[in-house]
Amino acid sequence: MKRNLSVLLSLLVLASIVLAACAPAATEAPATEAPSATEAPVATEAPAACQPAGTEPIAFPDGGKTVTGAWDQEPDSIVPYFTQMSYAIWITQLTLAGLGEWDDQGNFVPELAVEVPTADNGGVSADGLTITWKLKDCLFWSDGEPLTSADVVFTWEAIMDPGNAPTSRTGYDKIASIETPDDTTVVITFSELYPPWQVLFTQGPNNAGAILPKHMLEGQTGLESNDFIHQPTVGSGPWVITEWIPGDYMTLLPNPNFHGGRPVLDQVQVRFVPDPATAQAALQTGDVDWFPNFSEAEISTIGALEPDVHLIVVPGADFEHYFFNLGTTTGVDGRGASDVDGFCPFKDVRVRKALTLGINREAIVETLLEGKTTVPSSQWPNSSWTNSSLTPDAYDPDAAGALLDEAGYALGSDGIRAGDCNGENVKLSFNFETTTSQIRIDIATIVQSDLAKIGVEFKPIHTPAGTFFGSYADGGVMPTGKYDMAGYTTGFYPDPYTDNYKCESVPSAANPSGTNWYLNCDPALSDLMEEVNASADPAVRKEKLDEAQKYIFDNYYVIMMYARANVYGHTDRFVPGPFGFFSNLNWNSEVWDVK
Amino acid sequence: MWSYLARRAIQAIFTLLIITVLCFILTRLSADPMAQYATSQRMSAEDREALRERLGLNDPLPVQYLKWLGLALQGELGNSFFSKQPVSLMISQRLPNTLILMVTAEIITVSLALVLGILSAVKQYSTVDNIITALSFIGFSMPIFFIALGLMLIFSVQFKEWGLPYLPTGADIWDKKDPVELLKHLILPVSALVIILTAGYARYIRTSMLEVLGLDYVRTARAKGLTSRAVLFKHALRNAALPLVTIIGLDIPFLIGGALVTEQVYAWPGMGRLFWEYAQRGDFPVVLGILLIISTAVVIFTIITDVVYTFVDPRIRLG
Repeated sequence: MKRNLSVLLSLLVLASIVLAACAPAATEAPATEAPSATEAPVATEAPAACQPAGTEPIAFPDGGKTVTGAWDQEPDSIVPYFTQMSYAIWITQLTLAGLGEWDDQGNFVPELAVEVPTADNGGVSADGLTITWKLKDCLFWSDGEPLTSADVVFTWEAIMDPGNAPTSRTGYDKIASIETPDDTTVVITFSELYPPWQVLFTQGPNNAGAILPKHMLEGQTGLESNDFIHQPTVGSGPWVITEWIPGDYMTLLPNPNFHGGRPVLDQVQVRFVPDPATAQAALQTGDVDWFPNFSEAEISTIGALEPDVHLIVVPGADFEHYFFNLGTTTGVDGRGASDVDGFCPFKDVRVRKALTLGINREAIVETLLEGKTTVPSSQWPNSSWTNSSLTPDAYDPDAAGALLDEAGYALGSDGIRAGDCNGENVKLSFNFETTTSQIRIDIATIVQSDLAKIGVEFKPIHTPAGTFFGSYADGGVMPTGKYDMAGYTTGFYPDPYTDNYKCESVPSAANPSGTNWYLNCDPALSDLMEEVNASADPAVRKEKLDEAQKYIFDNYYVIMMYARANVYGHTDRFVPGPFGFFSNLNWNSEVWDVK
Repeated sequence: MWSYLARRAIQAIFTLLIITVLCFILTRLSADPMAQYATSQRMSAEDREALRERLGLNDPLPVQYLKWLGLALQGELGNSFFSKQPVSLMISQRLPNTLILMVTAEIITVSLALVLGILSAVKQYSTVDNIITALSFIGFSMPIFFIALGLMLIFSVQFKEWGLPYLPTGADIWDKKDPVELLKHLILPVSALVIILTAGYARYIRTSMLEVLGLDYVRTARAKGLTSRAVLFKHALRNAALPLVTIIGLDIPFLIGGALVTEQVYAWPGMGRLFWEYAQRGDFPVVLGILLIISTAVVIFTIITDVVYTFVDPRIRLG
């Protein structure tokens, strides 16, 4: 008996050793076990609906549907809190989700949330300081872990943690606390009024507030160089990155737990193709299916490739604008003093108006841009914030000449006007600074000849973007104000606020990071822009912004050249979903299909 | 010989130091890394200041350089400003791709140039020579992007349109381990490089051969009844090839740098593209890392070339 017992005992020991050895193997392959778990009797303990559909990306089946995009740049890392590249925003739209996003019509819509918080549904408190988001039920990360309100809190803490170095904390630093009464409720309390709260934790054209997985990153710092931030292996968007060969391509497979259901396609690949001419050839041969970044100058070339390649031109909220150096070393009422004084004649609104009327902007749009975009009236084009009562001035060289005569600038024998400005005889001859891109060179040449016709000498200087936009300390052209007139592209969206008109943002040695590169301190306008941010009510903000747009328009502070357009080309076999400027192509990749 | 090498090594260190200083100044002045963020609506003035401080851009330029040099001397190339990844890792990911492309192109170029150069020299002023000369000048004076894109438009886009077997544009995704695929993807970029590079080499060889063929010892060799083949390859070519050794020796290190335009056009994930993409953004750790590797290679290969010379040309002694 004793012997039998010892035999039994040793058998038990042996069995436990064997079982222990087997154990790791079992944890290595949870993918196959998870689905069966839902069928097991355990299901009675938890609601059957709240189980992840899988724990790994769905493998590519034989003969599956796949598309390949060509991008001219490679994201330097994926999680956009740590990079500013639009390419990172695009990849984030494919792989991670935020609380809300912008749809093809430019509306703000929920993504992980059930609805967008408003005053009506109780999501926005009366004082505008508290925003309550309600998450959808049963959200899961692609690895099967639950996605809850705790992940939102973690995301905020990761951004604010001094141990991490995000490129921006703007807005997140205005949050006093985030409460999570339960797994699906997020109550954000701001320390002061923050009207652009919609850009926080949401995915938009200029912001990419993806929610980060707490279970992957908790307790870690130095996230800016973390492997997961560079290439997330777990996501909440329609796709999961499964392969990334630097400089070459990226492969994405469906996330089994995507809240919007399984994507129609079985795989998406992104190939990094730096030269648009190559991308065009690759579209023609079908080596790639779409390219999102042709320039406006290529519209007709791509349009000529129909029916094999389709052209999509999306007018945007970005705009190309020319503007005047309005700097004053003395400042205005003690505000906004700059290091340099701008070109004296530009201080006269008649001169600014004459230059606006003297440039044939419609002709530039019609010829160089194939008529695919428009001359906007304000700096908020193609958006719900546009002041629709304004109409851009038409080309009128005669009126321009009359205005310059009236301002005292008479035509000289050399064909250039000159006149008295603050007691000095000044010629209407000035430098125009912009970057080296081909379309800017082409347009500047046309402007030069237009303005010559009204007796104005416009002298373009093209500086590489790295110096043009360089910092104050590095002698960048913009912040140091080393220009008479200048031009570049910008845009204020999805939230319309900008401090580019504030007196306090005029850059100078004392304020090197100021973004008011117009060096324009107009206290009335500065205060008006402040008021745009003084209310949480969108209707009140729109009213103030309309006023500001009219003020800028009436004072001819900028010459709006044209609204920029996003130019896409795609093969006939690739069928993207509906999209707009605010959403861009990638917002609904789950509905993409192939013919 | 050894004292010569020691002297050259010391010189090399100083050369490299001067090169890194110059490269640092040029890179730092050509683009401000912060320009990337200049118009970002997502960043406030404080965000920008914090980032400048973190990237060390608020330090005076000499301090920025010395910090980089300090790391480099410990064998560390630092991290990229933008990808935050180690520069050495980024280079190691791209270098093999570049070497496959460039070494293939260099081998074909040199072989082809030898044939064309010798043929040209032997048949000086004949129709063959005139055709080769004309083609050399065309190849030499054509911009590479034109040839690269032209080849792509003909052999990928047009061939497909005409229903012929066509070559990939390079922008497709393919299996790097499949030798047939590799060959297909190498044809166009290598051809573009060969067209550009062969012209120069072929002209060098032609001139060098012509010079040698006119010398007394070649006449002597002919006079003593050697076959023209023996004269050409055993006597003339061995001497004519000497300048070629220098040219190839100096070119090899640049193979590491890759072919900027060719890699751009054919979306080849190599060093040239890495350099260009990061240089534009003013990411000086990446740019300096690449330049340091190339210049080290140049210095080393110059020394190797000098040593090889003593073997090829017994008249030369190092000392």
